[in-house]
Amino acid sequence: MSDKSNQNISELMDGELSSDCSKFLLKRMQSDSELKSSWNTYHMLRSCLQKEHDAPLIQDLGSAVVAQLNSHEHQKTTVAKKTNGWLKSFTGGAIAASVALFAVFSFNNMNQIEQTVNQPVFAKTSKQLINPPNATVVRVEQPTGYSRFPSLTPQVQEYINESNNQLTIPVYYNTDYVNDMIIKTRVHNAKYQADE
Amino acid sequence: MNSAEEDKMSEKTLDAELVNQAKQGKMEAFELLVNRYQQKVANVISKFVKDRHEIQDVAQEVFIKVFRALPNFRGDSSFYTWIYRIAVNTSKNHLVSKSRRIQNTQVEFEEAENFSSNEDQRNLDTPDAVYARGELEQTMSKAIATLPDDLKTAIVLREVDGLSYEEIAEKMDCPIGTVRSRIFRARDAIDQAMRPLLQDENTRKQNVR
Repeated sequence: MSDKSNQNISELMDGELSSDCSKFLLKRMQSDSELKSSWNTYHMLRSCLQKEHDAPLIQDLGSAVVAQLNSHEHQKTTVAKKTNGWLKSFTGGAIAASVALFAVFSFNNMNQIEQTVNQPVFAKTSKQLINPPNATVVRVEQPTGYSRFPSLTPQVQEYINESNNQLTIPVYYNTDYVNDMIIKTRVHNAKYQADE
Repeated sequence: MNSAEEDKMSEKTLDAELVNQAKQGKMEAFELLVNRYQQKVANVISKFVKDRHEIQDVAQEVFIKVFRALPNFRGDSSFYTWIYRIAVNTSKNHLVSKSRRIQNTQVEFEEAENFSSNEDQRNLDTPDAVYARGELEQTMSKAIATLPDDLKTAIVLREVDGLSYEEIAEKMDCPIGTVRSRIFRARDAIDQAMRPLLQDENTRKQNVR
């Protein structure tokens, strides 16, 4: 700490120091405790001489005020951090819960779909025998009059009629049942032909 | 007014500079500002609050309010005029809340007989603190009294009569440089006399914290 710096402080507080020097000194004073202490004492002397001591002489209230302001700030950030932590964990929990909920629901739905797919369907009426519900592959009956090419030969028309008269078999029926049906049909046709 | 005079940073500009720096969050600048006005503010508060211990607490509250209100300070009035208003309002609020506290406190009959309405007699300061403050004031007065006459005259003309260096130079019939030197030497002598005491006071404060 030099006398020159202290003399500059003395001039600064009286408004007798140049602007450039003042700015430089203000910067220095903020990081130099010795200069700060001189600033404080010079102002105390001013108060004392101006009979400004109705109140007790106060010394370095600034450091107490700044310490309090800093502690308030620290408390604020701590509270904010705590709230953030709580919010973060809450958000994480909420996300985990929603993912779990979604997984449970989607698993149940999948089961339902799988159940409907795997459930065997039995034909109860003659129509269902031909066009069973939920059949994976079915043959669709063609109307005899339908043709995009009406000039087609009568052989084609005959073929369509024949195929329409044939028994329609859904693909998922078990083979024993199908074989049995085919045999019965052939036997019936053979009897019919023999009768003729 | 010559160019050197114009280039000087006036006391008002000095306040404005410190306020600007404090607004930017430089706490050290605000600390300098507080120490510059602490005694003036304490004196305003003492017009309302008689308890010496409470004066310092209220002063601290005033400066915390000042810091938080700094963004609203546009510099239309002087900084001191602005903090003066805050100090008056805070002191009045303090008295109102204190009277509420007293009303809400149950006082036993025996205690009530001994209860003095004189604030001075209910001073909450510790004896050590009162002694230290008294010692501070005594040391200051003693140091001023022992200053050489030329230094004492220069500092009194500056601080009590509020004369500029130029006016003091005219009055004391000496160059302005001598005035600068005399005023500084007077302040430095007081600073040297106060330093051991202030260090003790700082140590005491740190122990209390």
